[in-house]
Amino acid sequence: MDNASFAVEARQLSRDYVSSKRSHLVGKKKTTVIRALDQVDFEIQEGELFGLLGPNGAGKTTTVKILCTLLEPTGGKAFVKGYDVVKDAAKVRRIVNMVAGGERMLYYRLTGRENLEYFAELYDVPKREIKSRVNTLLGLVGLSERADDEVEKYSKGMKQRLQICRGLINNPEVLFLDEPTLGLDVNIAKDLRKFIREKIVEEQGKTVLLTTHYMFEAEELCDRVGFLNKGKLIAVGRSEELKRKMPTGFSIEVLVTRLTDDALEGLKRLEPVKNVLTTAYEGEAEDEKVDRLIVNVDSDRTAPEVLNYFSAMGCRVVSVNIRGPTLEDLFMFYTGE
Amino acid sequence: MFWRVVFAEIEKNIKQFFFTSRILFWTLALPLGNGFYLYFLYLPFAASSVSLEFNVSWYTLDLVGFTLIGQLLYTFFTMMLLAGTIFERDREQGTLETLLLSPANRLAVIFGAALASALNYVWFLFGILLSWVAFLGVKIIVNDFFALFASVVLSYVSMVTIGMCFEAFVICSRRGVMFATILQEPVMFFSGLAFPLQAMPRTLLSISYLIPLTFGLLSLRLTLLGGASLFDVAVPLMALAFMTLVFLVLATWLVGYAERSAKKKATLTQF
Repeated sequence: MDNASFAVEARQLSRDYVSSKRSHLVGKKKTTVIRALDQVDFEIQEGELFGLLGPNGAGKTTTVKILCTLLEPTGGKAFVKGYDVVKDAAKVRRIVNMVAGGERMLYYRLTGRENLEYFAELYDVPKREIKSRVNTLLGLVGLSERADDEVEKYSKGMKQRLQICRGLINNPEVLFLDEPTLGLDVNIAKDLRKFIREKIVEEQGKTVLLTTHYMFEAEELCDRVGFLNKGKLIAVGRSEELKRKMPTGFSIEVLVTRLTDDALEGLKRLEPVKNVLTTAYEGEAEDEKVDRLIVNVDSDRTAPEVLNYFSAMGCRVVSVNIRGPTLEDLFMFYTGE
Repeated sequence: MFWRVVFAEIEKNIKQFFFTSRILFWTLALPLGNGFYLYFLYLPFAASSVSLEFNVSWYTLDLVGFTLIGQLLYTFFTMMLLAGTIFERDREQGTLETLLLSPANRLAVIFGAALASALNYVWFLFGILLSWVAFLGVKIIVNDFFALFASVVLSYVSMVTIGMCFEAFVICSRRGVMFATILQEPVMFFSGLAFPLQAMPRTLLSISYLIPLTFGLLSLRLTLLGGASLFDVAVPLMALAFMTLVFLVLATWLVGYAERSAKKKATLTQF
């Protein structure tokens, strides 16, 4: 128990994935090493909701799996409540749980209640407590009425809510939520976020590590965030602190059509413009391709100048949104992507 | 904690994997059908009994009983080999991770899963035994019930420990099921499933005696059909007990190794 001051601590944490493949049946084996996590350092305080953000393949799930003992790191160390996740794995398993997004990790032919009772047995929950704990959890996520239906008859949202119950069945001190709202309807995802913030963190005081690639989700929920990109942790802190580090104070989000390369290059050279990011936008306006630009400027008063530039270059502005920096802007700022 | 996990595993696996009417029907119909196939192989020779030499003694066994015992025990053996598929499915549906995320005793987990497969087998074992006597007129000659009981229990337990080894193997390898399938034919041949071992060339007999099924078949046939005593079957029973112990130790080591290896190689999910 050397590192008991933090709920979770990662020190120079690294993970390589090694895969070997033959080019043909008797060919020589070709070994590929992919560094999924590269000397990552961070810590999470007791009772904190920490967000690990990044695109697909950034290393978020790898981090979570190492911290909940499902994967061994190839370098560095990690501690949960002071316990080494490799050496004291058995102790770590008693105080953590993990919920992943998607529809897996449940037994479909068992009912919701049977699933929870089964996991309660695995976690050695006292016999006399199982029934009441299962009922309480099912009630918390609004599944009491469907508790005795087989999970295969559940909707995606119901399965995800049941997963949350499974994650809480051992009353863990640290809960890892790996993309918990993945693929859920907007309303269900919103309810789930509210549940995580209000019930799990504020009411029960649990420490939560949440991974997501939805920046707004982290903005809404997390006390602090860390940006992971290509296995490296590129920034950690409170979102407000991180935003203050951005060299520009405002973002003009513009949807335009008829944008040419020359117009884009000219925009970057405009006096008030500090940075321009182009991001993918799926959609068309009056059968024309739409480009989404995030133009970073010092002051919102410079917006008319930017918009006039588009008109002068023959671009048609479809929509404009002027705002302070978001986590998405921050992420793009740090990664340059 | 150990037994709680074992019972939870049994209950879950039976509900999740076995209790459908189709599975119950086919686990009953298939081995019975295969048993008849073996039986009819002998019919052209117009034999009604099988001579079996063991320990310098000669036993005359009922032909139908001989082939059906072979088939019954062999089915149990393959069922135990394929118990590993439980974890293959667990890996596919992501529940292997949730299982290993918990602090549950790993040996209890694989023991429970193997017992679930074994229990699934027991229900039709008795059904078939009854149908032998009622419809096929199998001549059952039991002189020593304790010897029969010991033969049944040790055959059963040795197969369960083999199942546990395969389950542990499947945790760290996707080749477990393939390996189990490859093993089936040689075991069928060397164990004396369809013919008495004295028909086997002496050089091959040493392979037969490495297979627990060989001793299970011997002791069950001798005690259920040949009226053998505990003394008569002491050697195969001791061999079975020894092999059970070996497989239990192997399973205990393998399940720990499998988990460590899977965590190193990142193979707990589908790969």
